[in-house]
Amino acid sequence: MAGGYRQQPGASSGGTRKDGKRVAGKQKFPPPGSGGSRPNMAPRDLDFIPESVGGKEPQPAGSHIHDRYRTGTEVGKSRALVDSHAKVTGQAWYGDDVRLPNEIIGKILRSPHHYAKIKSIDTTKVEALPGVLAVATGADAPNTFGVLPVTKDEHAMAVEKVRHVGDLVACVAAVDEATAMEALNLFEIEWEVLDPVFDPRKGLEDQDEPIHWRGKYHVGTTNVQKRVFQEFGDRSLVEDPTASSHGKWRMEGVHHGFTEPHAVVAHWDPNGRLQLYTPQQVPHYVHRALSTVLEVPMHQINVIRTFVGGGFGGKSDPFPHEMCAAILSRKAGRPVRINFTREEVYWINRGRHPSYIEVKMTADKEARISGFDIDALIDGGGFASFGHVTSYYNGVLATAPYELGSFHYTGARVWTNKPASGAMRGHGAVNTRCAVEVGLDEMAEQMQVDPIDLRLANLLPPHSRTISGFRITSNGMREALEKVRQGSQWDSKFRQMPLGKGMGIGCGFFISGSGLPIHWDPNRFPHATVHMQIDMDGGVTVHTGAADIGQGSTTAVAQVVSEVLALPIEMIHVRSHESDTSPVDLGSYSSRVTFMNANAAIRAALDIREKLLNAAWEMLGYHPDVLVLNDRRIYYKHDPAVGVSYLEALHKAQEDKGSLISSGAYRSPPMGGVHKGAAAGLAPAYSFSAYVAEVDVDVETGLVSCTNVWAAHDCGKALNPLAVEGQIIGSCHMGLGQVLSEKMVYGRTGHLQNANLLEYKIPSIHEMPHVTPIIVESSDPEGPFGAKEAGEGPLLPILPAVVNAVYDAIGVRIRDLPLTPDVVWKAISAKTKELGGIDETEMPSPRLEHSPLQSTLVARASEHKDRDRRRQRSEDTTAYVNGVLFGFDPNQPLEGQVEGWKSAVEPVPEQLAELGLAGKAWLKKEQRQMGGEQ
Amino acid sequence: MIPSAPKTIWSASVNGQDVQAIAPSNAVLLDVLRDGVGMLGVKRGCDLGTCGCCTVLIDGEPRLSCLCLAGQVEGQEITTVEGLADGAYLAPIQTCFATHGGSQCGFCTPGFLMSAEALLTKSQTPTREEIALAIDGNLCRCTGYQQIVDSIEAAAEIKRGDAPAANPASDPHPNPHPDGPDEPSMPPGHAR
Ligand code: FES
Ligand code: FES
Repeated sequence: MAGGYRQQPGASSGGTRKDGKRVAGKQKFPPPGSGGSRPNMAPRDLDFIPESVGGKEPQPAGSHIHDRYRTGTEVGKSRALVDSHAKVTGQAWYGDDVRLPNEIIGKILRSPHHYAKIKSIDTTKVEALPGVLAVATGADAPNTFGVLPVTKDEHAMAVEKVRHVGDLVACVAAVDEATAMEALNLFEIEWEVLDPVFDPRKGLEDQDEPIHWRGKYHVGTTNVQKRVFQEFGDRSLVEDPTASSHGKWRMEGVHHGFTEPHAVVAHWDPNGRLQLYTPQQVPHYVHRALSTVLEVPMHQINVIRTFVGGGFGGKSDPFPHEMCAAILSRKAGRPVRINFTREEVYWINRGRHPSYIEVKMTADKEARISGFDIDALIDGGGFASFGHVTSYYNGVLATAPYELGSFHYTGARVWTNKPASGAMRGHGAVNTRCAVEVGLDEMAEQMQVDPIDLRLANLLPPHSRTISGFRITSNGMREALEKVRQGSQWDSKFRQMPLGKGMGIGCGFFISGSGLPIHWDPNRFPHATVHMQIDMDGGVTVHTGAADIGQGSTTAVAQVVSEVLALPIEMIHVRSHESDTSPVDLGSYSSRVTFMNANAAIRAALDIREKLLNAAWEMLGYHPDVLVLNDRRIYYKHDPAVGVSYLEALHKAQEDKGSLISSGAYRSPPMGGVHKGAAAGLAPAYSFSAYVAEVDVDVETGLVSCTNVWAAHDCGKALNPLAVEGQIIGSCHMGLGQVLSEKMVYGRTGHLQNANLLEYKIPSIHEMPHVTPIIVESSDPEGPFGAKEAGEGPLLPILPAVVNAVYDAIGVRIRDLPLTPDVVWKAISAKTKELGGIDETEMPSPRLEHSPLQSTLVARASEHKDRDRRRQRSEDTTAYVNGVLFGFDPNQPLEGQVEGWKSAVEPVPEQLAELGLAGKAWLKKEQRQMGGEQ
Repeated sequence: MIPSAPKTIWSASVNGQDVQAIAPSNAVLLDVLRDGVGMLGVKRGCDLGTCGCCTVLIDGEPRLSCLCLAGQVEGQEITTVEGLADGAYLAPIQTCFATHGGSQCGFCTPGFLMSAEALLTKSQTPTREEIALAIDGNLCRCTGYQQIVDSIEAAAEIKRGDAPAANPASDPHPNPHPDGPDEPSMPPGHAR
């Protein structure tokens, strides 16, 4: 049966032109449904079928519940993104590529003041300008919106006051751009300028006029938007530490820097429905917000997601300009297009929060990590955005991958008169992760142990619980560490290189989809839904709302469907652009798409698969259990000649009902603790990563360049290894930018000084190190075919790896990010002065002489390695919660433990005096306690 | 409407086709290409010459169309991303960007493709450093550049003839005309 079984009669291979090329429109193509241009059934690809079901794909992490649906078609194969041809031909349509007949151009008037009341706006002159077709101000849309239902603090345009330079004041639509620009000059506005706040530390103090007013939930009369307190574990363990690290960090704000500026087109169609075209990561929230702001029911709005030219979290809020376009279009009765300039992209921001972070860490005499004490003050800018969540993530996403004796976190997010911060790749976890990983490095130095061994001896095992109650399932942290150690030749380089050359390690873990979805009642609705339809021709149409932002979610969904149904991927058509046709999807954030949507897609495909198999059963007389689904053919397990083609089975299955239709959904299992904020950071699975970075530091100029990165990431199972590697390398790029060059510079007057790509320093190709991506597959029990996220987690370790490498190179710990030459040089000259004014080139490089503790660690790590292997493969299924290493009994509830173990979400009065910077937010009382509304 | 600069008829050869567009005399090439000629594949990332998304070839040389007045290139030969493919058949550089991960969100891709194509027409044996120099005016936020360089290397190999061109299965526009009615039938063998 060489070549397999012909799927359809009469299908011949394509015609060719004289020069050997096939001619479009001319070549013969097999009949519809027979799948792509291959007329014959491909043999089963055993290399991509797991061992557990008779294939050859090795499964070191054990078998997976989805193994039996593997057909060797797509999963695990490196492949081009399904929409890549649209992208390489220039046919992908992004926000600015939508052109509707009769469209006009909208422009936004932005605030010149940091903080001011609008006393009046006179638009007479604007309206009088010939060519202006619509004008709108805040009065046209008084309803508030915001990405989180608990903090809706945005308006389409300023109502009452503006909160940062660049805040939206009004907008116009005109026949062309020049007229619209001219019109912006004609607004007459009377301002009452207020005192702005730029420094988040000032935001903790009471103000005459807080930037927002949260009513009875307001904290004093400060600008604190959210404060968090969490304390878990046994605080007595931190006494008498063998090693400790105390670091005060300052991290600048960074921007996503996606290449596509925001753009939106709004059009009220002749039936009075709004069609809104926008490059959005989360079309559903825009849909909701539009409905609220425009006071139009959701079903009268169709949100069309264009291709998205990069998101990284920066296109996940519903944006005021999207509302503006809709309002203008409604007024003008014509389609309105608004394109952002690059500068406007920075005004809308939503980048990573500028942060002040303080971390105190301790290790005990056995080099166990007895305490993490984190204080994070983050600068939210003018609006809440995702800040509520960020405030939690800054702490709780530091609770793994290590086993901790105790954990103490105080966080506060403060409004300031700057463009709003929000969610950015690695949301909330990046800055604290950097701080704690550098702290670990410092403690390893004090204890004279290898920092990798320190980590290996303190890891949480697979199937365990973190100190804050997160459920860890698969966990490839150990393997990741071992692989980068080996790949980078760590043991022969670390602390052994000459001055100016260094190597550092960093780890990270990240959520794979948030367990508690925003805007959703998890008990009533699934997290993700996928619809599927197969008509007579055999092509599969998949409807999902998952927004492909370049990460390849459409491809992932197509791949899993293709895998389950054993159909060539060209037969799977994913429709994900329109809210009219796609089931509600919560959007592309918190790295949820592959995990949740692919899971939903698998379920929908399984439904179809069952129908096909039942049809084949009827035709062949063999029970589905002994039927094999292979490339467009279903056959008897022991004799491939006995079988039916996919189309035959399909048509049989369609006899009664016509098109086969199915729907699949995914819902994460109930999990987590019950304390306040327990849901923040909960995820059905977590990804793990470990990086080693190698740097060169020019001691005379302070210039740091990263030359090599070994990047191991545990993504559960790489559905498409090429895409996973792309995510890893891309994450390195973005993280390197943050640690070495990128920052949003606010001058003394509070103005953003570098709102362009020339002065906002995104690494170019010359700054990129060589990255060796290493994929670790821990096969997550709940992930689709074992997969977890790979989009955000890989960003975390690069920052600390570089900072630690800089220490290895020059013996100086710098806690000011980014490590621009001026910062590094200042640190170097402080060091040389401290050493008696020696020349920079004579600075000593740090060296490592192992202490006796090292062997304790190595022994413990090897014991744990064995423990982890057994737990991963479910040979050991006993309960494990954080603290076992310190004598915590996992079979006893917290109350039943020996003295000391506790959990708290509010400080007790005695603690107030010793709280850190962000902790000061707890010194104020909520209005509620002070007597209610004001 | 505010008065604009006098309109002129701009003509040039775009992707091998003589085109004319009515544009103000001070129009920027990027605007004319996108809205006058309809080449929306040329992307606007910054309008300031900082991102490279708007790169097009002018007489074979990569240039930033956002920094170029249309009048400056009057009558010249302009190639945009739309002009790379031969009908429905992708150029090697395009196929390789797809198969080697050179394009994630794809917004920077048209610019990279043009810079890379310019390089490959000059040299089919570029080193990784030469490739880096050729694309250092292009910004990509998704890929970290590494897979872009891989893609360009792979395309160079195809151009040199060291690797086979893409297989016909990657034909983006297969003709779905059936040879006959779609009648299911038993495959050869002895199905029951
Ligand atoms: S748009 Fe021309 S370089 Fe950015
Ligand atoms: S692929 Fe997104 S910017 Fe390059």
